[in-house]
Amino acid sequence: MHLNAAKRLARDPWFIAGAGISGLIILFLASSPLLVVHDPHDMDFIPFSPPSAEHWLGVNDGGMDIFSELMAGMKNTLHFGLLTGLVCLIIGACAGLFSAWFRGIPDLIIMRLSDVFLAVPAVMVLILVAAFFRPSPFYLALVLAALSWPTIAKVIRAQTLVVKAGMHIHSSRQMGASGLYVIRRHLMPELYPLYLIGFVSKARMAMFMEVSLSFLGLLDPGRKSLGMMINYALRYYYLDIWWSWLLPPVICLTLLIMGVTFLALSLEKIFDPRLKEIM
Amino acid sequence: MRRTGPGPHILAYALAALVMVYASYLLPRMLPGDFVSAMYSSSHVTLSAAQEQELRSYYTGRDGFVWYLKDLVTFEWGYSYAFLSPISRLILQALPWTLLLMGSAHILSMVAGFFAGVEAAWRRGSTTEKSGVGLMTVLQGIPEIGTGVILLMVFAFYLGWFPAAGGETAYAEFSGLERATDILKHLALPFTTLFLAYLPGNFLLTRAGMAMILKKQYLETARAKGLPPMRVRYAHAARNALLPMVTRFGLRIAFMVTGALIIETIYSYPGLGTLLFNAISQRDLPLVQGIVLFSSLAILLINLALESAYGFLDPRVRYAS
Repeated sequence: MHLNAAKRLARDPWFIAGAGISGLIILFLASSPLLVVHDPHDMDFIPFSPPSAEHWLGVNDGGMDIFSELMAGMKNTLHFGLLTGLVCLIIGACAGLFSAWFRGIPDLIIMRLSDVFLAVPAVMVLILVAAFFRPSPFYLALVLAALSWPTIAKVIRAQTLVVKAGMHIHSSRQMGASGLYVIRRHLMPELYPLYLIGFVSKARMAMFMEVSLSFLGLLDPGRKSLGMMINYALRYYYLDIWWSWLLPPVICLTLLIMGVTFLALSLEKIFDPRLKEIM
Repeated sequence: MRRTGPGPHILAYALAALVMVYASYLLPRMLPGDFVSAMYSSSHVTLSAAQEQELRSYYTGRDGFVWYLKDLVTFEWGYSYAFLSPISRLILQALPWTLLLMGSAHILSMVAGFFAGVEAAWRRGSTTEKSGVGLMTVLQGIPEIGTGVILLMVFAFYLGWFPAAGGETAYAEFSGLERATDILKHLALPFTTLFLAYLPGNFLLTRAGMAMILKKQYLETARAKGLPPMRVRYAHAARNALLPMVTRFGLRIAFMVTGALIIETIYSYPGLGTLLFNAISQRDLPLVQGIVLFSSLAILLINLALESAYGFLDPRVRYAS
C-alpha cells in the first residue's frame, strides 16, 4: 500500500507546500530563544506603544510585548494539537487493532462505543468541562482525545481486517508466529500511513479547537494563546492596532492551520486506498 | 477520515443524548463544595442574600436526575442571573438568528459546493478543475477566525460598506422591506465568512465522490442509451455523490457549530454563539450549561434526521436492512 509512497509524497506540490510551511513555523519557533527578548508575562512596558526596535509588534493593553506573546501563543497551540493528535492516535490505533484482531464480543463493544462517541459533539463537552472546572490545557487535550479517537479506530480496524486476510499473515501464523509477533511485525508497520493521516487530521482539529476555546475565553487567561490575543485585540478595534496587534496572530494562525491542512489532504490523497485509484 | 455506509445506529444517538444530559447534570455537582458557592465565588455577578437563598434551595431542593429530566422536558432550564431572565427564553430569542446565519450559510455553500464539485469532476484534468481544486484547498486551510477578522477589517472598518456588529439596527423603526434589507446587510459579512468556511469541504467531497463514480459502467450505459449529457451528469452520476455529503455532515456539524460560535462573537451577531460568549465572560454557568445542552441535543437531532434521510436517498441501504 505504500511502496513508492515517500517518492510520490515528495512530488506532491501540496505536501511540499504543507511541509514547507510547517517546517518554517517550527524553525521560527525553535529560534525563539534568540528572537524573544521579553518575558511574555512581563507587564512593565507602556501600554499601546507602537512597534519599535525594542518591541517589534508594539505593546498590548496590559503592557505586555506582543511579539513575545505571539511566539508563546503559537507554541501553546502547537503543543496542544500535537498532544491531542498523539493521544488520539494511541487510543484509536489500540482500539482498532484490538477490535479487528479479536473480533467477536470485544469488537462489538468497541464499535458500539465508538458509535456513541462519534455521535457526542466533542466541542460541547469541552465547553462544558472548560467552563465548570477550568482545567489545565493538558487535561483538556486529554478529554478531547478521549472523545475523538473513534474515527481513527474505525479506519484502522477496517484496514487491519484487510491486511489480516492476506496470505503473508497466514503463512506467518503457519510458521508458528505468535499473535503479538504478527501484530508487531506485520500489521502495525503496514498501517503506518493511516497513523500519519489520523495524527495530522486530529492535530489540525485540536489546534482549531484550542484557538476557538481560548477565543471564547474558556482557557486560563494567564496562558498565552493565539485565540485570546485575537479576542483582546478586537476589543480595541477603534485604535490603530490592526497591523501590529490583530493581524499577526491571525496570519500566524492561518499559516499554522494551512500547513497542517495541506499535509493532511496530501497524505489522504496519496495513501487512502479508496482514493488512490482515481488520483 | 472517511466513513462508508450509514453512520451510527439510532441507539447510539439516544445513548449519546443520554450521556450529554447526564454529563450536564453531573458536572455541576462534581464541583468542590456547594454548587452555588462554587459557581458564584468566581463570578462578577453579585447576589443578594435572598437571591442566594433562593438559588440554594433551587439546587438542593430538587436534587436528583429524575427531577432534572422533568425540568429539562418542561423547559424549566433555570434562571440566568447575569441577564435576569429565564434561560429558555434567552435561548429561544437567540435561536432564530443562529438558524438564519448557519442555515443560509450551510444550504448555500452545500448547493454551490455540490454543483461546482460535479462540474469540476466532469472536466477532469482541465485547467478549470485544477485551479478550482487549488483554490478550494487553500480556502480549506484558512480558519474562520482569519477570514472573519479580515472581512471585518476590510468591509466594515476600512470600506464601511457593511455594519460591523449586531443583527439589525437597534431601535430603528423600519417597515417590512426596509427591515429585511437591514437584516440582510447585517447578515452579509458573517454569512460570507461562514460560506467561505463551509464551501471547500463540500466542493472537495463532491469532487472526490464524483471522480470515483465517473468510472462506473452504468454511466457508459446511460450514455450509450443516448441520454442527454446533463441527465447523465446529474441524474445518474451526481446523485451518488450526494451520499457522502450526507454521511460526512454528521462528523462536520460539530465543527460547523464551533465556527459559527466564533464568527457570531466576532461580529456580535445576536445568536447563540454571542450569548454563550457573554455567558462565559460573566461566568453565568447555568446559562452556559443550558446553551451547551440545547445545542448538543439539536446537533444529535439533526444527525438522527440525516441518518433517516440517508436510507431515503440510498435505496441500497433501505433494502439491505
